[in-house]
Amino acid sequence: MKGPLRAFAAHVLPPAAALVLALLMWEAWVQWRDVSILVVPPPSAVAERFFERPGFFWREGGWTLYEATLGLLLGSAVAIGLAVVMAHSTLAERTLFPLAIIVKVTPLVAVAPVLVILLGFGTTPKVVVAALLSFFPMLLNAMTGFRDVNPGALQFLRSLRASPWQVFWKLRVPSAQPYLLVALKITYPLALIGAVVAEWFTGDRGLGLVIFSANYNLDTPTLFAAIGVLAMTGVSINVLLSLVERRLLFWHESVRSTR
Amino acid sequence: MAAVLHHVSLSNLSHVFRDGRSPLSALEAVGLAVPPGQFTSVIGPSGCGKSTLLRIVGGLLKPSAGTVLLSGRPPQAAQREREIGFVFQDPALLPWRSVLANIRLPLEIDHLERRRRLPDPEQLLDLVGLSDFRDYYPHQLSGGMQQRVAIARALAFNPALLLMDEPFGALDEITRSAMRYELLRIWEAHPGPAGRKTVLFVTHSIQEAVVMSDRVVVLTSRPGSVRADIDIELPRPRTEEMERTQPFLDYVYYLRNLLKEAPL
Repeated sequence: MKGPLRAFAAHVLPPAAALVLALLMWEAWVQWRDVSILVVPPPSAVAERFFERPGFFWREGGWTLYEATLGLLLGSAVAIGLAVVMAHSTLAERTLFPLAIIVKVTPLVAVAPVLVILLGFGTTPKVVVAALLSFFPMLLNAMTGFRDVNPGALQFLRSLRASPWQVFWKLRVPSAQPYLLVALKITYPLALIGAVVAEWFTGDRGLGLVIFSANYNLDTPTLFAAIGVLAMTGVSINVLLSLVERRLLFWHESVRSTR
Repeated sequence: MAAVLHHVSLSNLSHVFRDGRSPLSALEAVGLAVPPGQFTSVIGPSGCGKSTLLRIVGGLLKPSAGTVLLSGRPPQAAQREREIGFVFQDPALLPWRSVLANIRLPLEIDHLERRRRLPDPEQLLDLVGLSDFRDYYPHQLSGGMQQRVAIARALAFNPALLLMDEPFGALDEITRSAMRYELLRIWEAHPGPAGRKTVLFVTHSIQEAVVMSDRVVVLTSRPGSVRADIDIELPRPRTEEMERTQPFLDYVYYLRNLLKEAPL
């Protein structure tokens, strides 16, 4: 019982204390300087708004998370599929990589309205925008991961005449796991951003809509509560992925060096 | 028909690497014939093409010129029959697999059981002295233990030919010396289907070559070709005491002088 408690004290207490301190300073600043609630609401007002109707925030947050997750899955699936092809063929890499870069450098805010016109309302445009945002980092990491194999192990498998398929499953996929997890830590928050931005433009549901309309109505407590829910979602995802990482990558230096 | 069918025979073997900026000649007109069951060391200055030679024999690299025959067939045929076991300087174990799962890896690549009796992976673990570590992971083992796993893995198909590329090169001196005798013990205790395995052992340690081998082949510096080919007529089993006897020291002295003369 002592171990987990100590781990909790070591890992959770310091950041929690820092967060509480920051909120207190924010509250004090708003109170003393008498800052207008139209500019910055005190944390207490934000919390009050949230607890007035927590169900509303969770439900809208749930929509955003759902769209982001679907988009993440779609974007990752396409990215990993392309990475497999590109890791095996330089011709495919030369052909497809420039296209991937175009997807990456095109500003999302410019594309989102087009997609909304193209795809209408509902889930699809949000999923597509989230997928577009999460695509590139996953592609880059997966490509590097599939190639970053121990050369000795590769030679050994070749000396046994292992097929490319066997080399892929027995060597490349496990070798790529650390890269894929790092990619998820980057792309999941990006997918959330994508979903929120798409919700701004479609305006039918989700935290993006909440933020958009609260902003329009100068309802800063609601605005900040929505932002808070988004932030908490992001933090939870990160914690979850770190736990997965520690379990899955027990053999990898990145995990072993922190034990 | 030849009087002796050699296990490994290389004739007029040359290799030029053309993937760099300028062509790099690594091997030139190497000829070598190794009878079955012989422990042969290949020694030479660094960069003389020892590893290239081994990779060509193992069928991982196609030579620019010359022929390689393993029991009269090209290396690819021997590869197909899983008659080649490779051990590299880097143990190159899969870090996400336990010791036992690493040794089983070759069996997952091909299910050869139907064609010939294969050693039980658990017995191979026992042979390399790691029975108590079957469920450990590579990062929990010392360098010497990892290399033992790599040796056991190379034995998974009970190959007739073992190709070892400086397998103890990354180990500390004490472990290294112990591993030499350990490998000799394994070699003697674990014969292939037709008697002792043929071993081609690349090293840059003169001591090591003499301790282990029936025969030492000295390569010149790049491009490597055979400079000398001497039989080591020391009785087996080799012992650490032998390393202090005059014949042993004579071999070492002789080889050292040969290597000194080799232009670097």
